[in-house]
Amino acid sequence: MRVLIVEDEARLANNIAEALRERCGFAVDCAGNGMDGAAMTEFKHYDLLLLDLMLPGLDGLSIVRQVRRRKDMTPILILTARDQPAQVVELLNAGADDYLTKPFDLGELLARAKALIRRGKGAPQPVLTVGRISLNSVEQTVRCAGELIDLSPTEYRLLEYLIFRPRAIVSARELLEHLYDYNWQHHSNVIEAHVSNLRKKLRAVGEETTIATLRGRGYRLEAPEQQL
Amino acid sequence: MSAVAIKTRSLSGQLIGGVLLAELLCAALFSAVAIGHEMHGRRRAFDVMLRGRADSLLGAVQDAEDPEDNVTVDPTELVLPAQDVYEVLDPAGRVLGHSPASSAALLAELSSTRAPGTFNFRAGREHYRAVRFDGVRVIDRDDKGGFRRPVTVLYAAPTRDLWHGAVEAEWFYIAASVLLLAVTGMALVWFLRRRLSPLQELAAIASRVSTRSWEFVPPIAVLRTTELAPIALSIEVLLKGLQQSFERQRQLTGDAAHELKTSIAVLKSSLQLLSMVPRTAEQYETGLEGLLLDCERMEELVSRMLMLARLEESPLEKNASCDLQSILHKVSERLQPLAELKQVVLEIGGGEARFVTMLPDDAELLCSNLIVNALQHSGAYRRVHTVVQAHDGVTELRVQDQGEGIPEPALPHVFDRFYRADRSRSRASGGAGLGLSICKAIVERSNGTIQIQSDLGKGTQVTVTLPSLPTPDRRATDRPPATRE
Repeated sequence: MRVLIVEDEARLANNIAEALRERCGFAVDCAGNGMDGAAMTEFKHYDLLLLDLMLPGLDGLSIVRQVRRRKDMTPILILTARDQPAQVVELLNAGADDYLTKPFDLGELLARAKALIRRGKGAPQPVLTVGRISLNSVEQTVRCAGELIDLSPTEYRLLEYLIFRPRAIVSARELLEHLYDYNWQHHSNVIEAHVSNLRKKLRAVGEETTIATLRGRGYRLEAPEQQL
Repeated sequence: MSAVAIKTRSLSGQLIGGVLLAELLCAALFSAVAIGHEMHGRRRAFDVMLRGRADSLLGAVQDAEDPEDNVTVDPTELVLPAQDVYEVLDPAGRVLGHSPASSAALLAELSSTRAPGTFNFRAGREHYRAVRFDGVRVIDRDDKGGFRRPVTVLYAAPTRDLWHGAVEAEWFYIAASVLLLAVTGMALVWFLRRRLSPLQELAAIASRVSTRSWEFVPPIAVLRTTELAPIALSIEVLLKGLQQSFERQRQLTGDAAHELKTSIAVLKSSLQLLSMVPRTAEQYETGLEGLLLDCERMEELVSRMLMLARLEESPLEKNASCDLQSILHKVSERLQPLAELKQVVLEIGGGEARFVTMLPDDAELLCSNLIVNALQHSGAYRRVHTVVQAHDGVTELRVQDQGEGIPEPALPHVFDRFYRADRSRSRASGGAGLGLSICKAIVERSNGTIQIQSDLGKGTQVTVTLPSLPTPDRRATDRPPATRE
């Protein structure tokens, strides 16, 4: 998952980014002003937008309106130091999904971020299952019939991204865009390597669910018919 | 407002009361004059009647048919009211006749007045009006003339009936006045209610204004009233001003809260991030260093906010004064390392001591804020020029830089609190947007002005103008500024 933080207070942005990377395994990009932030949302790489309300250049509310005008469904979480009800109502009506007032609890922010991403992808609870595999997005663990599978952080992120959309074809490009931030050099063969490792680990525990490679089109999480 | 009980007075009540009082006075005066006139007429009619009865009494004086040739009064043919009192005397004072029913005391009272004419007297509880005149009765008038008998006639009648009539007339006048008063009073109430309705409308609309709803639109009826239009317009202007200052204050509080909350959010998130997972000693050390920086920044923000509050709250001490020139020198020496770090040339102009009404600490803060600002907005190999000059009774401090300048639309706001022309950059440089506000507060406390001019791409010049003070005594100025610390 990839998150965009638009926040002019650099220290705060770094802290949130660090926590999202460490605790959720997300790829995170930061923008220091509203104009940059708005421009970055246009790539549609993000699974969550974290916006400060008072931003230089363009304020958070305007970014929300821009995003929603494009029919972009990406969940938006607003950070604000102002908590007058009228302002909150205006924000939510403009298309924001949730808000947190500063100073907030970092743990709460992470939980809300995860919940918003989950909901944005149509899953109401944190445990996702395909076949015998169950992925717990809170604990960041994957089990097969109750047995823990040891995955690297990248493998976990890959599986997490795919498990939200079982049987859909996900291109390598999309995976690159959603699993890595801008600091990462984009090489699609990196994805292929991780998919291959993940496939091996699943097969090792005797799981029939696997990731199929569709040449030139992408990857697909496949489970036996009756188990899906 | 209602804590103090104020006795209220109604304008219309006062008006009605005033008009009614005037009417009452008029009515009373009119009644008094009318009654006086009435009384005068009645008294004259009474006197004529009295004289008429007295004359007919004179006619009743007859020969007594006795040897002394005396005269007597024969009232048998007279028809006089029974309560009247009369007495006829001869020149010697002998009583020739008197009213038969009258008591001796009454008669004595009547005859006690010697002068002829009308007079009043009182007997018992009865008031009388009397006439006394000397007449001549000719008895047995014939060709030779007859007997001429001089007599004095005293005739009195009780005035009770006279006053009865007067009182009746008086009552009539009073009743008419009261009726008139009541009718005009009611008409007045109705009229005033109608005419004063714009005033009530104005009051109602004004009472609806609060800090949440500033709407004040005076109705047409109020604006059409000559006396009310200026009040309504001045209320409108006043409310607009109040609303603006209220909004400014609210904005300010909101901005201050925003800054503080953001600072706390940084601190809290840094701490939570550090304690989220077990870390190495090195990571803790780096985290703590960052936290310390966050704390320092917050400290700076709070101290600046408090400084601004102090400057705006308390007036300047009476005999505050300092030498702006020596303070400028001192501050620029202290800031020389920063200038070198930024590779900016910091120049000081002017040489003589220039005294102004300002606390030395404030002057230092002013100079350092302006110079640090100029240094921060200057690129490498640029110049920051500062000078103190005096002319026409004012002292001028100018700080000029060759930085990137301030965009036109931002210029009017640079002295606003928490305003940053470019927020992201200012944050990076540690400013909270309070530096220039503090400068402005310091300058205005000393009755000075601060102005800013800027050419985009060429540089900015801040000019502080302060009233000059005469150089106090030699000892203070003899001390060279460089050795002061």
